[in-house]
Amino acid sequence: MASRRKLLLKIIILGDSGVGKTALMNQYVNKKFSNQYKATIGADFLTKEVMVDNRIVTLQIWDTAGQERFQSLGVAFYRGADGCILVFDTTSMNSFASLDAWRDEFLIQSSPKNTENFPFVVLGNKIDLENRAVSTKRAQKWCQTKNNIPYFETSAKEAVNVEQAFETIAKSAIALEKEEIYNDFPGDIILDRDNKPNNGAACNC
Amino acid sequence: MSSSAPGGLEGPFKFPNSPEPQSSSSSFVVPYIEEERPESPAKHGLDEKDFEKLVLGSDFVDESNVDEDCNVAQELKKYKYNIFVLSSAGKPVYSRYGNEDKLSTLFGVMQVLVSFIQDSNDVLKSIRCNGCTFTFLSKGPLILVSVAKTQQSDTQLLSQLTYVYNQVISVVTLSRLTKIFEQKCNYDLRRLLSGSERLIDQLLVFMETDYAFLLGAVRVLPLAPTARDDISNIIVSACSKIKNLVFALLIANNQLITLVRMKKYELQPSDLHLLFNLVNSSESFKTAESWTPICLPLFNPSGFLHCHVSYLSEDCQACLMLLTVDHDLFYTLSTAKQKIVETLRRKGSLKDINDALALKPISASELGIYGLRHFMCKSRKHPQFWSSRVDTPYDTPEEVEHLMSLYQNLHQHVHHPTRPLKLCYQQMDSEIMLGHITAEYEFYFTFEPLVTKSDAISAAGRLPSVWLKDDEEKKKFIFTDPTF
Repeated sequence: MASRRKLLLKIIILGDSGVGKTALMNQYVNKKFSNQYKATIGADFLTKEVMVDNRIVTLQIWDTAGQERFQSLGVAFYRGADGCILVFDTTSMNSFASLDAWRDEFLIQSSPKNTENFPFVVLGNKIDLENRAVSTKRAQKWCQTKNNIPYFETSAKEAVNVEQAFETIAKSAIALEKEEIYNDFPGDIILDRDNKPNNGAACNC
Repeated sequence: MSSSAPGGLEGPFKFPNSPEPQSSSSSFVVPYIEEERPESPAKHGLDEKDFEKLVLGSDFVDESNVDEDCNVAQELKKYKYNIFVLSSAGKPVYSRYGNEDKLSTLFGVMQVLVSFIQDSNDVLKSIRCNGCTFTFLSKGPLILVSVAKTQQSDTQLLSQLTYVYNQVISVVTLSRLTKIFEQKCNYDLRRLLSGSERLIDQLLVFMETDYAFLLGAVRVLPLAPTARDDISNIIVSACSKIKNLVFALLIANNQLITLVRMKKYELQPSDLHLLFNLVNSSESFKTAESWTPICLPLFNPSGFLHCHVSYLSEDCQACLMLLTVDHDLFYTLSTAKQKIVETLRRKGSLKDINDALALKPISASELGIYGLRHFMCKSRKHPQFWSSRVDTPYDTPEEVEHLMSLYQNLHQHVHHPTRPLKLCYQQMDSEIMLGHITAEYEFYFTFEPLVTKSDAISAAGRLPSVWLKDDEEKKKFIFTDPTF
């Protein structure tokens, strides 16, 4: 029973404005795609329950706004994340070039305990489009230099690799979550007979 | 209370867990934000439209999503008072109703609302809309939120959130809570709280139904002073040689019989309420002696006291709690308890307690004061109170709740933070409410609606002499202060 306890993972999606973060999330959670672009304001939240390693896990997905004017909220959004999905648009070199900045920004602001092994995945989205600007090789190479981040080429429109990407981040987040168990039971209170504890008003009942 | 604790072990209704993986998304409608320093949203670097959207959630929310989300939200709407606890990372810790996993998008929104205001060095205290008040409390690594469709004051709503926070601390301790989140801010606190949710569930019911929380006092079981002294003395003599025993208290049916304390250490009413709540929340104390760690946040938030809990006997349902700082004291306290029960039985104290428990509190109508329906009295010196039996016309749960809301309203006027009142008269739709503060007591009265103002005020002045005559005062309140 104890190992069956509830598990909730906070997953952040980051990337430049317009790379398809919200579309990926909607494809993953709702199996729907819309070509219409609407900028995310602040953040969107979606929940999905998934079975990972025979266990029901709730993913709390934080879809953040790519636009710069919302970046001040970064710390609040990133705090306590269990995993981070970095997204770029395979037809936009600029969005790929931003990955470094997104990753650094995330690691600085969320300051996870274990920077080395923090669960990331990188998604190259919009592979259904023809005007490709970032090659698979180039993206893979970048991922390798960042401690082998798993890389997926996705299409939110055609639902290519979306499930796999989310499953991968969930699995590596769970692996990290298992490591730490807290057993430090607080020590006993030591009574100080000479000093009255600072308890405020008296209660003589 | 303890015997009729609704769903004491099960907690309130929760949505059934669906085996099918499900999804939901969130949007949140809030037209008006009340901040510590009222500021127009534009000052946060967004225009008003952006701000509205941020609060409303994305405009790219699928229709089907909205439906599903509405179902979850709709379910929550029917409740008058809801409480959510989340970590500052936005991870759910507790939701009074509903499965918190399924509500996790809502928790995300709450975290962002708090952070958004924090980002401009401000504090989000409450949001009001559609007769609903959202109250926020950020404490260390936790955020507590209540959604209330009641007429309670901000102070009252905040105090309830603080109680819930204290209940969490009481299970985990502040030092451990702080340490865990320092080490791992993505920690899922439900791991540590699992099994203790019912304590929060029960606390919320307790707060909604017992005047103790409103008044910041405990109810005392009326006993002749000599009978009470006997009980205290028996406890003192059985325990005085035990080192490190800090408190011993005997309670029955949510009423305090006696509290013996180590010199220099005191127990605050809110800590006492947590102890009462512990007893109310578990039926298992009735069948076996228990040894349970409990942190009392006002006494010491950073460590556990160890509490020996047991009912006196089959034929006397009073509960004895012996609190120590020494985790090895179980057998010593168990022996002491046996001794206490034997002596109490021999000296007839068990019978005294049973007799007192069998006597229902008098009804206000028995006092022969024209038009008086109900009243309560709190000692100003000692955090103790007494209330008359809730009687006709307050016969249904709705009516009882109505009476509670009248007292909440009266109490907030009497104890107004900047303009406290000695005498407060309120003509309500179907009652007259009167608050009267004397040198020693706070009185709160409910009268028939047609009683005149002068009659009500003169009755209030006369009542103490009728009701507290002779030894009655010493029966209803504990003026002694036994120590080990």
